[in-house]
Amino acid sequence: MNIFREIYQSIVRRDPLSTDKGKTELVFLNVWLHIHPAKVKKEHMKFRHTFYLGFISFFLLLILITTGIALMVYYRPYPAAAYQDMKDLQFVIFMGPFLRGMHRWAAHGMVACVFLHMCRVFYTGSYKKPRQFNWVIGVVLLLLTLGMSFTGYLLPWDQLAYWAITVGTNIGSYAPVVGGMLKEVLLGGHSVGEGALIRFYVLHVAVLPLLVVLFTVVHFWRVRKDGGLSRPVWKLKAPKTAPLVQIGGTAEVAPLAVQAASTEKTYGLMEVVTGKPIFETVTPEEDDDAVFSYPYAFVREGITLMATVTTIMSMAIFLRAPLEELANPAKTPNPAKAPWYFLGLQELVSHSALLGGVVAPALMVIALLVVPYIDRNPSRRPRDRKWAIWLFTAFVVVNLVLIVIGTFFRGPGWALVPPWVHVTGGAE
Amino acid sequence: MERRLQQYFFVLSVLSLLLIVGAAYQASTPAWKRYQKQYLSLEAQGEPNAITKAAVLATPPEVHQVMLTGLQRVDRCTTCHMGVEDPTMKNAPEPFRYHENLGPHIPSKFGCTICHGGQGLATDKDDAHGNVEFWQSPLLTKEYVRASCGRCHKDGEVPGVPELSEGKRLFENQGCRGCHKLNGVGGTIGPDLSLEGANHRAPEWLEKHFLTPNEVSSGSAMPNFHFTRDQAKALTYYMLSLTSEDMGSYYSTVRLIPGPEFGRQIFQEKNCINCHNVGGVGQKVGPDLLGVVGRHSPEWLDEQLINPELVYPGSSMPAYDLDGNSRKALMAYLAVVTPADVQALLSQKPHVLSPSDVAIEAGRQDFARFGCVGCHGTELQGGVPNPNAQGGEVPSLLHLSDDYTKDEVLAVIRNGRVPPLDNPNGPPPPLYMPAWKKVLSDEDINRVADFLWSKQQKKADGW
Repeated sequence: MNIFREIYQSIVRRDPLSTDKGKTELVFLNVWLHIHPAKVKKEHMKFRHTFYLGFISFFLLLILITTGIALMVYYRPYPAAAYQDMKDLQFVIFMGPFLRGMHRWAAHGMVACVFLHMCRVFYTGSYKKPRQFNWVIGVVLLLLTLGMSFTGYLLPWDQLAYWAITVGTNIGSYAPVVGGMLKEVLLGGHSVGEGALIRFYVLHVAVLPLLVVLFTVVHFWRVRKDGGLSRPVWKLKAPKTAPLVQIGGTAEVAPLAVQAASTEKTYGLMEVVTGKPIFETVTPEEDDDAVFSYPYAFVREGITLMATVTTIMSMAIFLRAPLEELANPAKTPNPAKAPWYFLGLQELVSHSALLGGVVAPALMVIALLVVPYIDRNPSRRPRDRKWAIWLFTAFVVVNLVLIVIGTFFRGPGWALVPPWVHVTGGAE
Repeated sequence: MERRLQQYFFVLSVLSLLLIVGAAYQASTPAWKRYQKQYLSLEAQGEPNAITKAAVLATPPEVHQVMLTGLQRVDRCTTCHMGVEDPTMKNAPEPFRYHENLGPHIPSKFGCTICHGGQGLATDKDDAHGNVEFWQSPLLTKEYVRASCGRCHKDGEVPGVPELSEGKRLFENQGCRGCHKLNGVGGTIGPDLSLEGANHRAPEWLEKHFLTPNEVSSGSAMPNFHFTRDQAKALTYYMLSLTSEDMGSYYSTVRLIPGPEFGRQIFQEKNCINCHNVGGVGQKVGPDLLGVVGRHSPEWLDEQLINPELVYPGSSMPAYDLDGNSRKALMAYLAVVTPADVQALLSQKPHVLSPSDVAIEAGRQDFARFGCVGCHGTELQGGVPNPNAQGGEVPSLLHLSDDYTKDEVLAVIRNGRVPPLDNPNGPPPPLYMPAWKKVLSDEDINRVADFLWSKQQKKADGW
């Protein structure tokens, strides 16, 4: 039996989890878990502060990678085969519809969750010093997520895919000077065809996922280095009266000094470098509410993971991922619509190609990127940030309203048609 | 709280496991496996002993598919319809029943969807029968399925489907080409119909459209031709057959059906009657051909047609270079040939016409062939309603010479014309004269004008 014990101990080298040392070692002896601190404050885990949206987005990414690799086995990225492979997934491949359904719903879910995560970060002021640049990385991740979803949209090669990408890339081509070239490079031609399919495929399964993973790693690393998960620092209770600390002296000799213990908690690389640490430091705060990451943080992450997985699985079982007719370049649906998250843009483009297709989206992205650098207000308390919150809410609402109009209120010829009015296709 | 959370985690984990198991169960119990089981038990009933019965029942379930690269499709219909090629399943319940009268169209060579429509790739009923969103060719009903014959058999008659040739005849005679293009020739007022069968319109829609065009597409410029129900059905058949099947060589070589019509043509071309006679009509050099099909087996006749010397050494009959289809067609004609028909063939001498009459006759044919009759009528009487055109209808062409010179008429045919409006503020009239100069040669246009003028003159003469 000794050999088995030896094998086990060679794999799990920490002390038993019943000990504090074991709980600590579980985190920092493990390459996957050591992004966590060994101990976390309870407010870091407060659901109603973060809604765990970052975790959910990350778990959706894991689902997407897993199901995506499985789907790659069955998919051939050229027009003659792509659509038939979709039909095969639906009709003859074991659990094919389930696989494709999970991938699809996780993809839409990720676009939504990443966006909501950004909203949460804004409303809690979590992009403020020292986390400014992590916000910028987050915006890049949002754009990459949209890119992933957009490139995946074409792959089924049905009418929905074909025309959504045609409309989407047309919006891109309105950019001055580079627009036309951009469209051509992306499509490998003037219109969506074989070239576009293979380019979108390579972007979707190789280039973009790699970038997403790399940026996610940096994003997580910075969260950890910048003081851990966001928490409502403005709600922290006042410290208990500081205990007195006696410096020097014994019972016989009078002490050198008696003073209040420092309430400021800092971390740093002791005796190696000098200077102030870059980390988030908060004063004042309670220091007796820290708990071990195991099990407190891990069980919450586990619940989030399982809840995400079960939700996506249930959707895959009960909601069929749509597949329209085979792509037909000669038959334009009326109206041809971009993917839903670009319908706000398409709505703008319908009013002005230059303003809606170029100026507005460029301004939106630039505005998001510079948010942490123009918001000079140091406070994270919502009461102190009324202007910022109003402005951002306006931004979100305008985007959502445009998307809702584009999705539900636009009929043939991009005419305003409420969703409860049924319009038959164009005349003969 | 913490204990509760750990319970949640446990419950969610079990739930996700159940979902996976559920999805796997759902995936491993498709309806087609049930059908295959039912079919196997039907088949086992016919087995003589318990061992073979068990062997049949033990056949593992699998998707059956016919890969038809030549027809650009994969049909999985036989996954459930397992008895289509098994005559013992003649009286079996659907979906297992034997398909009678298939002739050469065996599913392993042709699949099913080429004739029946539906979604060949699908393996569950609703999807396979195409009664789902985003699949545009649902199964054709019994009433219309024979229209599919015309998708491959485009030339000549299709035995058992008179509707196809009747529809084609109506299309050419009623002047449909005046408004509709077909294979590059025709007007521009209505839609091009060259690939109408590939548009996946419901046959019921088409038929209704032929009966009352305005009822199914409001504001349609198409006049009501007052077709009978049978004529509307024939036209529907013809429309459904207008597809461009991209067929492999196997299919394109066998698609001409060797019927007696074709045989009669060969009989005439090869001048068989120069040596043979039928019931005494013709020459006596060769034997009488009346009833020759009854006297000899098809194989004997076939060999005789390939090389007569092999059958009768020293035969004076030449070896004609006829392909298999032509030989079959010729035999089909000989089976139905009558002395009266041969007499008709013999009396078909070239009709003697003066050169000017020939030109006018050609003009009359062009007038019909290019669809002018659709609006202007076979007797040039016009009268097809055309709202908001002056007079409210397509004008008669019998009085042209009163108002126009021949050159003016030629110009109108060449360049087309929008009729003058009755009410200048109203909508443009749905029908107009298309420009024909790109469709017709100058020669054709001149002939049509000559024909029109011939009609005018005859009227002036009090004809």
